[in-house]
Amino acid sequence: MKTWRDVARYHLVVPWAPLLIPWAILSGSFLVNLVIFALSPYGHHTVMTSHGPVSVQDATHGYTGGVATIYILFLIIGLSLVGRSLPFALSLGVSRRSYYAGSAALGAALAVADGLVLAGLQAIERATDGWGVRMFFFRVPYILAGPWYLTWLTSSVALALLFIYGMWFGIIHRRWNLFGVAAFVIAQLAVVLAVVLLVAGADAWSSVGSFFTGLTAAGLTGLLAVLAVLLLAGGHATIRRATV
Amino acid sequence: MSPVISVAGLTRRYHDNLALDQVSLEVEATSIVGLLGRNGAGKTTLLRILAGQEFPSSGEVLVHGAAPAENEAVLRRLVFVREDQTYPDFKVGHALRVASWFYPRWNAALADDLLADFGLPPGRAVKKLSRGMRSALGIVIGLAARAEVTMFDEPYAGLDAVARQIFYDRLLADYAEHPRTILLSTHLIDEASGLLERVVVIDRGRIVLTADADDLRGVATAVTGPVLAVDEFAAGRAVWDRRRIASRASVVVAGGLDEADRLRAASLHLDLTPLTLQQLVVQAAQPDDRERTSA
Repeated sequence: MKTWRDVARYHLVVPWAPLLIPWAILSGSFLVNLVIFALSPYGHHTVMTSHGPVSVQDATHGYTGGVATIYILFLIIGLSLVGRSLPFALSLGVSRRSYYAGSAALGAALAVADGLVLAGLQAIERATDGWGVRMFFFRVPYILAGPWYLTWLTSSVALALLFIYGMWFGIIHRRWNLFGVAAFVIAQLAVVLAVVLLVAGADAWSSVGSFFTGLTAAGLTGLLAVLAVLLLAGGHATIRRATV
Repeated sequence: MSPVISVAGLTRRYHDNLALDQVSLEVEATSIVGLLGRNGAGKTTLLRILAGQEFPSSGEVLVHGAAPAENEAVLRRLVFVREDQTYPDFKVGHALRVASWFYPRWNAALADDLLADFGLPPGRAVKKLSRGMRSALGIVIGLAARAEVTMFDEPYAGLDAVARQIFYDRLLADYAEHPRTILLSTHLIDEASGLLERVVVIDRGRIVLTADADDLRGVATAVTGPVLAVDEFAAGRAVWDRRRIASRASVVVAGGLDEADRLRAASLHLDLTPLTLQQLVVQAAQPDDRERTSA
């Protein structure tokens, strides 16, 4: 356990990369969206008709989906942290197992902390009716639209999932370079294709559809957690025989 | 006493390239061992396997009595700084701080002293270091860690003569105060020879010579003089190398020479020069067609 903690500290020895970069970029994305929303009158959009342009009341709020930025950044951080720092860790007598566990624990801790911040920002967004311009940056219909604790849970699980996924990419790249990454992506596409063919072969699209429409946000979070565990196991199997 | 490092029948194969071929080796505790050999001889591969960075294809590798790969009880008592060590994007000071967390006997004062000796700025980004500075960083980490098994792979690649001397001096001084098992690979053989207690020569994946450094002094002698006199002196002795230029010849005879041999050589007007460690390694690492004559 001490080694895990030291591995996590090792990743944080230059702390701004994993701690601040996601928020720096997310803030940038947020500000750009905010300026656009502030400059364009909300609530109406213009439609061309045979009688000329007509202003129509918007049916929905302004969902931007901008919060997705931080999820992508977690993938990139997982990828860049883990591949690069492995050789020096092994030089210092850290086992691959501890290295992997410590890195994943760091990813999980960051996901929980940043997930909480996301839940807080979402609460502010609600309280201010979309930052005063009806912009919904941190709220995503269905998946991130429930109570704050559910937003916290779902965000944390999804962030951890992407970090772990990124780590696996990083380890693949470490072992087999770009060729390996390409093969890895192709293998995943093959898995998706196999699932699609299986469902089609069993003529089960309607039951798949009803499964997903019946799924709650909490249920989807559970599915993501299962997927994260699978990816964690995959990354572990890959790092076990990695050499530097 | 049981050896700290014990290797038996170790083979490492990469596709059709045999990097290590049935290597067997034992290293006793508290000694400085030189792993000598040409580029590509297998030195780094052997060290990487000992450090658990690489896996053997076959054979047994024991460090502190257990296989090192993924064995933290062994790995945490070991440090291995490589010539081509890669670091994350950080500064010299970061590298030292991280290393200090993993070694209970890490000596920060020693690290600071060494930084000053080598003129390494702690605030400099590792990737901006010159090759020699990067080597120096590896040396600082390897020595300050005070790990029971300390391994250096070509530790002074790119270092100037002054810095190399600092390395030798500091290594010996710290070794005297804190004895440990030090394994270092190098091809600057004569320069390091004063440091080494044992010598292991590896060539094309095989160990061709293992000996105490002291025993190797005078183990072979170059005999130079007129062709006929050299031939007369060398008759009946094991000859490793033979060169001829015009009417003069030079041969390397194996085995120690006694006082009678020396008198006889003097009467034949022959020059006797003991082979240096480096010349011995060159001899040991040569192809088998040793007989070479140049006119």
